[in-house]
Amino acid sequence: MNVELEELVRRFGRTQAVAGVSLRAGPGVFGLLGPNGAGKTSLLRMMATVLPPTSGRLELLSRDPGNLAERREIRRRLGYLPQNLGYYPGFTVADFIEYFALLKDMPPRQVPRAVAAAVERVGLGDKARSKLKTLSGGMLRRVGIAQAIVNGPELLLLDEPTAGLDPEQRVAFRALLREIGERGTVVVSTHLVEDVGAACTEVALMDQGRIVFHGTPHQLTARGEGTGAAGDAPLERGYSAVLAEARS
Amino acid sequence: MDDDELITAIAAGDDIALRELFSRHAPWLATRLRSLLPATDTEDVLQETFLAVWQGASGYRPGSAGGWLWGIARRQAALFLRRRGPATLELPGLLAINHSDGDPAEAALSGVVMARAAAALGPDGSPEREVWRLVYVEDRPVAEAAELLGVPVGTVKSRAHRIRRRLRAALHMDSATEGGAS
Amino acid sequence: MTDGYGPADVDLDRVWTGVAAQVWLRRPGRIERLAARLLRSPGLARALVVTPSLLIGWVIATAVVLLAGMAATLGTHTPYVALFDPAVAAAGIAYAYGPGIDPAWELSQSMAVSDRMVLLARALAVFGLNAVLGLLASAASGAAVAVTFGWLVPMTAVCALALAAATLARSANVGVAAGISGWVITVLAGKAIAGPVTAAVASPSLVLPYLVFTACCGALVLYTTRIPRGAA
Repeated sequence: MNVELEELVRRFGRTQAVAGVSLRAGPGVFGLLGPNGAGKTSLLRMMATVLPPTSGRLELLSRDPGNLAERREIRRRLGYLPQNLGYYPGFTVADFIEYFALLKDMPPRQVPRAVAAAVERVGLGDKARSKLKTLSGGMLRRVGIAQAIVNGPELLLLDEPTAGLDPEQRVAFRALLREIGERGTVVVSTHLVEDVGAACTEVALMDQGRIVFHGTPHQLTARGEGTGAAGDAPLERGYSAVLAEARS
Repeated sequence: MDDDELITAIAAGDDIALRELFSRHAPWLATRLRSLLPATDTEDVLQETFLAVWQGASGYRPGSAGGWLWGIARRQAALFLRRRGPATLELPGLLAINHSDGDPAEAALSGVVMARAAAALGPDGSPEREVWRLVYVEDRPVAEAAELLGVPVGTVKSRAHRIRRRLRAALHMDSATEGGAS
Repeated sequence: MTDGYGPADVDLDRVWTGVAAQVWLRRPGRIERLAARLLRSPGLARALVVTPSLLIGWVIATAVVLLAGMAATLGTHTPYVALFDPAVAAAGIAYAYGPGIDPAWELSQSMAVSDRMVLLARALAVFGLNAVLGLLASAASGAAVAVTFGWLVPMTAVCALALAAATLARSANVGVAAGISGWVITVLAGKAIAGPVTAAVASPSLVLPYLVFTACCGALVLYTTRIPRGAA
């Protein structure tokens, strides 16, 4: 198991962004769905060791993120793409990815090749020496994905990774996820239901800080059949059906 | 952009042009090299070749990009083999492949022939073998070979002349022998 | 990525990666390699070395201010460098902190080389650069030795104040404001109480209070940037 959460809670003042989530995930691609404000980002932040839980048990890559040394070990094997990445305008694509590769304690001798491979993997081979300020939103997103995968992570956390990507790039991206999911755990948080169906082996649906569905995309689709729930595609209907049930 | 334009761009520091050039030419260069070297060595030599292209693009005179590229690849392969160990059979093979040829089998055969002919020039390390290696295999200009060997340019030229005579004699004898054996 | 395939057992993508690795990336400079050895962390060394490019505006401003101070000092014999430098340093230090200067702040928080280490390294770099420039400007403008070196202690205190304010408020601007205003108040108070405008800088009796103040601010910074504890 790469990720083990038990009754994880995260409170901000009075509100519970995450209200008791339990989850176990091994290798594979794990989709985290839910409306805005459902707590997906807070959950992802906790898994990225950026936010401490208020209570509950969290174990990542068989290590305890509460322990300083173990947290550093987790972070070396982690790839994280936050929802709002931010970038250094004067850096080139290659410089930016190299910077974070070094901050992840990658051995310096391995870094240049890993950076080049990551750049090519996300289809930015023509832009390696372009400054970040010259790139479009979709390209910047791909730079973010590249820095997340540069260290060959065992745990890859992506928050809304496909924003700005065109359909062809999304196909390539899903192939990338499946490839990494063969050996490691990929957690993708997205509000785009179709993204999930195509790439994920397992799906969890969050609403108001709780997990209201956990299963395969196929099972989610099944939940929407015959209910007349809203949605243009089967997976969307399953999504709406589960949400409606959870809120009733 | 055609090859000449790409190489001009590379000389000006355009890495995207290098990528495009690689995309076009790496496959056939790899095939040629593979007929002489094992796969991992081919990868190493090909990498050195394109790094040499990146650094030496300003020395390109518009004309045959393919010939220029193969010249670099051949030189890099020779350097690679020399670094690895004493002179091997592959060196003559490199010499035998021209840009206009395509057939690796033919190249291998003529490589063997060449090896025997090269042996006729003298023992490894002798003046003729050294000149032959520098000028014919590694494709260096006569002036550079003279400097490396520490002899006047005229000496290099006369040794090259002698080499040509001996090689022709050796090859002629070879074919004569094969003809006679049947 | 190639037009053709080449031999089946030759990995052309891998070859290109090897070429690109050397074409796209420069080898670290001597300073960075030295820093990597000293700090035992190539990541930290890189974070330090990129500081000027992130703070290029600050570096230029510092140079301008110090040059102006130098010129003013030469003209009027009031050690303006000693008076300006702490304020400028405070501004730079405040910008060494997270959200103020680091747009990829959230990502930095998930890094093995912790953002706190980076902050400390950057703050030291800013401070060090400022101290060197300031010393040179001060010496070049002929100010008295006591004043030339004397302002290093108040500068440390002011920087600590700026950094503490920045980390508390999570804003570089607040840090800058706190640092500069704190310094201005100190200088004016010194003038009002003791007479010369350099009182705040040159009085030896102030060294201990400055250092205590620095330590308090330092503790505050350590607290506000503490690595969050995990679950119990």
